[in-house]
Amino acid sequence: MDNINVLIVEDTPEESDALVKVLSENNYNIVGVARTHQEALTLFYQNTIDIVVIDVFLDGKPDGITFAETINIVPNGQKPFVFLTSSKDRQIFERAKLTKPFSFLLKPFNELEILYALEMAVEKFYEQTNVFHSEDQNTVISSDSLFIKKNKVLKKVQIKDILYIEVEDRYCNIITDAEKFVILISLTKIIQLLDAAKFCQTHRNYIVNLSKIEQINVNDNLIILKGNHKVTLSDKYKDFVKNFRILK
Amino acid sequence: MIKIKSLFLVLICFPVLVFSQLKSNSNLFRFEIKNKAKEFNKEINFNKAQYFFLESNWDSTLVYSMKQLSSSDNKELNDFCHYFRATSFNKKKLFNEAKKEFDLISSKFRFYYKVKLTLGEIALKQNEFQKGLEYFEEIENLPNSFEYDLKSSTVLHNIGLCYLHLKKNDEAEKYLFKASTLQEMDKDTLLLIGSYIDIANLYYEQYKDNQAIPYFKKAYELSKKVKSFDLKIAAVLNMAVVEENRKNFPLALTYRKEYEIWKDSLNDQNKVWAIADLEKKFAIKQKQKEVDVLAAENKAKIAERNGFLISSVLLFVLLGTGVYFYRQKIRNNKIILAQKNELDELNATKDKLFSIVSHDLRSSVNALKVSNSKLLDNLESKNYTELDVLLHKNSSIASGAYNLLDNLLNWALLQTKQAYFYQESLHLASIVQHVEYNYKPLMLNKNINFKNNVATADHVFADLDSLKIIIRNFLDNAIKFSKENGTISIYSRPSSEEFCYLVIEDTGLGMNESTRKELLKETILLSKKQNDDIIGTGLGMQLCKSLIRKNEGKLDIESEENVGTRIIIALPKFKNHG
Repeated sequence: MDNINVLIVEDTPEESDALVKVLSENNYNIVGVARTHQEALTLFYQNTIDIVVIDVFLDGKPDGITFAETINIVPNGQKPFVFLTSSKDRQIFERAKLTKPFSFLLKPFNELEILYALEMAVEKFYEQTNVFHSEDQNTVISSDSLFIKKNKVLKKVQIKDILYIEVEDRYCNIITDAEKFVILISLTKIIQLLDAAKFCQTHRNYIVNLSKIEQINVNDNLIILKGNHKVTLSDKYKDFVKNFRILK
Repeated sequence: MIKIKSLFLVLICFPVLVFSQLKSNSNLFRFEIKNKAKEFNKEINFNKAQYFFLESNWDSTLVYSMKQLSSSDNKELNDFCHYFRATSFNKKKLFNEAKKEFDLISSKFRFYYKVKLTLGEIALKQNEFQKGLEYFEEIENLPNSFEYDLKSSTVLHNIGLCYLHLKKNDEAEKYLFKASTLQEMDKDTLLLIGSYIDIANLYYEQYKDNQAIPYFKKAYELSKKVKSFDLKIAAVLNMAVVEENRKNFPLALTYRKEYEIWKDSLNDQNKVWAIADLEKKFAIKQKQKEVDVLAAENKAKIAERNGFLISSVLLFVLLGTGVYFYRQKIRNNKIILAQKNELDELNATKDKLFSIVSHDLRSSVNALKVSNSKLLDNLESKNYTELDVLLHKNSSIASGAYNLLDNLLNWALLQTKQAYFYQESLHLASIVQHVEYNYKPLMLNKNINFKNNVATADHVFADLDSLKIIIRNFLDNAIKFSKENGTISIYSRPSSEEFCYLVIEDTGLGMNESTRKELLKETILLSKKQNDDIIGTGLGMQLCKSLIRKNEGKLDIESEENVGTRIIIALPKFKNHG
């Protein structure tokens, strides 16, 4: 599991320092702190960013909103972000609201509030609300990552690293090359959210990353994955084999 | 001499004709006409014609008889109609027309002899004596003239007249005498005078003066008894001419004078008639004028009345609109007055709020100043234990002042509706946790036992910031009113379909029933009571109530003095609460 990469756009050093401190303590990876709109753009496009924290007012101008508007223009380049503001001025808010999905945090805020705000931003951005505070789910699935809340800390796992998923009741065991961990999500939901071109159910309890398959032993009902992981293939789900070009 | 005599003859002829006509028209003929009218009572025109005929209204008779002729083919009635027309023309002296009409009458007509008689008279008038003689002799030769409706004396007299004009004096004398004998028998004075004058003229023409004069005298004597001016004039004039011819001028003069008198009286009468006629015309004119004047007056009156009506309607409308606008104005004034009162009240509230807030702020800052100078003193004297106490105190004063300022700002934003307000589904437990996080040191300081038992499944539909303000204020209050070692717990009650109930419970001072009710009332600011530090401005409470209302929630308070207070906030779970 990796830490979440955060970009901070904040012109006041005291506030950015406090923010960096709080987020680092909660295992967020601070990619950088931008003081201006231009700096923010440079940092945003040079690094892999998961979430952006934006102060609305940069040097007295609402450049934060301009930045959000700019990164929203590029499709597929959008990332979840949180606005920070000390003013509840309605005009500013009406403008900020247009940069959907929109979440904000009013200054002054405490540790819990900023963490909550980041989680909310992720939920809203991937349109899977009420996940992190519910009792039966703790994972938001995006197109390339899983955002997992583990012990009040948000982590992520790249989907391309997943070998297979083993379902157990309400839990799912995620097996990657490096590690093995449990997330809280139902089978139906995870199948629905995962790309059907990349993942396939082979058994009542198994979902397999198709790109990791090394060998399919139809007679033994066995699939051998990279790293010699063995997964059961049941008759009911055998049909997926037809999707492969079989060499004779 | 002869000339004069012939003049007399003309004078004499007419009366005779008139009377003969009058007589012949009577009785039998009238009776017969009336019978016919009854018999043909459906012939309206005929009935009218006969009515006017009997009334001697000749013009109308002509009109209706013409109508009858053009509309009906009844020969009997047609004969009557022709007769009516002929007679009418005769009376109007249109003799040729009359003759034409008479010719149209069929010989079967029952009163055909009358036709002959009248034709004879017309001939006589037109000086066609020979023709007239023929007509009259035809009638004379009828079997018995008494069965008919005419006097044979008249016929005889007329025959006599014809002979007289034809200069057949012997025949004339014979017939005239016959006629006068009959008239003497009938005692018909009027006709008799005519007869005598004619006889006298007959003799006078033959220069038989001795025979003529007694008849003239007889006629004159008789004429004195009658009222007819024409006869009197004729008789007197004859006498005057006779006396003149006899050179008896004084007597002639006397007769002449008498003649003049009668003529004058006749003229007078005519004049009187004419004057009366004129007067009548004048009176009619006058009446017409009066009628015109009255009509004009009536017109004027109607116009006046209409004018009054219109003006009164206009006035009424004017009055109505006036009353309407007056009432509108009164209503507006009332509204304005009410609004003014409301504004005054609000203004007073605002002033009070400002005085309290400014007092609070000033005392807080002042306390901070004093405390800081103490801090500096202690720092100099290196009294570190005191330093710690003072710093904690400072921090609490600062946070109190900050909270007050924050509330003030939020309240101002709420009042001016400038704050951004966006309701969304919120995880209640997390929000409570966030707020509580800031108060942890304070509670630790007071050694308060805090429990957060909000169900993790509870979500409310609210504006995040206003929800935080509400919880912060109530939590702040709860801490403020709690004793040391007290307990504060926040939990959610089993929710209903629409609402989620958040309860903030403390074991603090509590409040009495009246305070509780005061707090729940709309728009009330608590003044400082007993100078007690822990009772605030009421601004926080006010703000919470407004925000809860704005979030479509409800507020309730349960409290018992010296036991504790329970603040219950009901918030909608979903948009528009279902």
